[in-house]
Amino acid sequence: MPIISADLSRTERVEILSAEGVRDFSIPVDLPEEQLLWLYRKMIELRLFDERSVKLQRQGRLGTYPMILGQEASQIVPAACLRPKDWLVPTYRGQGAYYARGMQLRYSLLYWAGDDRGVKFPDENNDLIFAIPVGSHLTQAAGLAWGEKLKGKGGVAMAYLGDGTSSKGDLHEALTFCASMKLPAIYIIENNHWAISVPREKQSAGKTLAQKAWGYGAFGVQVDGNDVFAIYKEVSAAVARAREGRGPSVIECETYRLSHHTTADDAGRYRDASEVEAWKRKDPILRLRRYLESQGLWDAEKEARLQKESLAMLEAEIKAYESFPPPNPLDMFSENYAVAPWQLIEERAELQKILETRTGDENLAVLPPAEGRFP
Amino acid sequence: MPELNLVQAINQGLHQAMAEDERVLVLGEDVGLNGGVFRATEGLQQKFGADRVVDTPLAEIGILGSSIGLAIDGFRPVCEIQFDGFLPSGMDQILCHMGRMRNRTRGRNTVPMVLRCPHGGLIHAPEHHSESPEAYVCHTPGIKVICPSTPADAKGLLIAAVRDPDPVVFFEPKALYRAVKGEVPQEPYETPIGKARQARIGSDLTLISWGAMVHTCLKAAEILEKEGASAEVLDLRTLAPLDLDAILASAHKTGRVVIAHEAPNMGSWAAEVSALISERSLLSLKAPVKRVGSWDIRMPLFRLEKHYIPDAERVLSAARAILAF
Ligand SMILES: Cc1ncc(C[n+]2csc(CCOP(=O)(O)OP(=O)(O)O)c2C)c(N)n1
Ligand SMILES: [Mg+2]
Repeated sequence: MPIISADLSRTERVEILSAEGVRDFSIPVDLPEEQLLWLYRKMIELRLFDERSVKLQRQGRLGTYPMILGQEASQIVPAACLRPKDWLVPTYRGQGAYYARGMQLRYSLLYWAGDDRGVKFPDENNDLIFAIPVGSHLTQAAGLAWGEKLKGKGGVAMAYLGDGTSSKGDLHEALTFCASMKLPAIYIIENNHWAISVPREKQSAGKTLAQKAWGYGAFGVQVDGNDVFAIYKEVSAAVARAREGRGPSVIECETYRLSHHTTADDAGRYRDASEVEAWKRKDPILRLRRYLESQGLWDAEKEARLQKESLAMLEAEIKAYESFPPPNPLDMFSENYAVAPWQLIEERAELQKILETRTGDENLAVLPPAEGRFP
Repeated sequence: MPELNLVQAINQGLHQAMAEDERVLVLGEDVGLNGGVFRATEGLQQKFGADRVVDTPLAEIGILGSSIGLAIDGFRPVCEIQFDGFLPSGMDQILCHMGRMRNRTRGRNTVPMVLRCPHGGLIHAPEHHSESPEAYVCHTPGIKVICPSTPADAKGLLIAAVRDPDPVVFFEPKALYRAVKGEVPQEPYETPIGKARQARIGSDLTLISWGAMVHTCLKAAEILEKEGASAEVLDLRTLAPLDLDAILASAHKTGRVVIAHEAPNMGSWAAEVSALISERSLLSLKAPVKRVGSWDIRMPLFRLEKHYIPDAERVLSAARAILAF
């Protein structure tokens, strides 16, 4: 008997916009000019936000912050392929994905300042809070997709994960569920080449991370993750397939973490500056700008105006963030149960008594009223 | 004697444990080139090579399950789970296998491994980086659990843990990593597992604690002294097996006990200590045993953590209440 190929797995890589900003028009992408310019604006705003956040952290005005620098395309574009009622579950490095869906940056800042009031998404969105234990959201996304399938209205669920997180067993179980039940789920792997200090090669001996998908019977593709067109083409196709009931997809966006893991990390300890320099030349924003300029859609004057407007918007967001009154510690007790049990009632009263006797800023009389439902 | 902080003491303990026994392996996320996110494994890979100090893929079940396998196969793995909030990720291996293998195989296969994990809050860390999950592990038969509060104990207990024939979970109070300094003998030594430490001698009441909270209790004891009450502070150091003799002796001596810790009170390890005292020393007690723990809600984001984890004030009001009982 001849030995034949037992499966149909094949993983393609899609690149459309080169690092020099030259677009391959032989690959059709249905991305209207207006939307392209909107994506460019969001990426610029996100980059400036990232820069300002790092500065705030260094000045002691923000807690530990995870940088997005270099990943603006893989953050913004997939989320922009969704409708507000589709589910979005980003990672902690996900301020960009939320922002693409309209979350106000003041809340991202508030969250990274260690304030639970920062978990505030636009009311009309189905945005889910990210998970800090990495990967634990992936099976939840399967459940969200399952629910959307049961509702039968074409809704989908999208979850992001990193290259490191692709090693977690959670991905195995999530893809097993999604593929075997043909759930409308899209997994975006942001392969930024590093999981803190651990390089991509240590996570898998496979040539791509996208190829994992085929083993479950899901669709997998790798794209240049700094290429807006390639991401848009593959993610919007995956979303369309999911809406039509044709099952889940994994899109691996190959990008690069240009900064440290977070403000608490020092990447100089474990990676070469030359690697970083090489990736800076593949910057997603730079190449899109070159393309827009080559098409007569952009120029220095427009860029200057965008920068100015973005900075003004950011200053307003930072001001709004810093104008929040301190949180009332009693907020902790709200929203733990639909109806709080006796120990919470006792303990809240105990904390209330402590706060009444504290002085200065800690005194209950000068704090804002507690938020949320209790008991 | 040289002065070291807690993380330096742990680092020295790891260096010496690896030097004295080539079966010892260190594995986990970022433990190699980066030396661990807290630098506890700094310099180990440079000294002992990448075969013995291994940066694993990002997978806690992988880290714990393969450590169990390595231990059964004759090695002495010392694995790291990067933060307390990621311990639940590996719970299947801890609860269902790590402590049971010896018994299930009637002693044929044993698991001499150490699981190191940072513990506790108050360092302004992001969500899921400030948890106190010791009760889940202490509740699981077959596992020893350690949580030191001084550099000297950290080193001695870590070396004892690596040499121990059974699995040991070693919690490292991260608030103390750099905040406490103390004299640490240069040579390798063991601090006995299962023995509590009298951190302060007193006669009117006993404050029982472990990890970073020991230092909060010492602070409270100083204030109580000024108020005319003499507080003993018992640092458990080992949470499983508990040093029952030391706990009961102190309870018997003072008749008043407060147990302070960072986890929520309900179902906590403080509950176990309290139950043991009540069951076995009821007639020595002059007041009910009191627990001071975090509130029975999740650890909030860090802006409110100091209102969540007990401070010296809360330990004090519990102490005053039982003194006035
Ligand atoms: C279950 C779990 N283990 C460990 C960590 C600690 N940790 C936080 S981020 C990170 C690396 C994640 O790498 P990757 O998935 O590539 O995402 P990236 O940070 O590059 O965006 C690690 C190990 C965690 N958050 N959750
Ligand atoms: Mg990564």
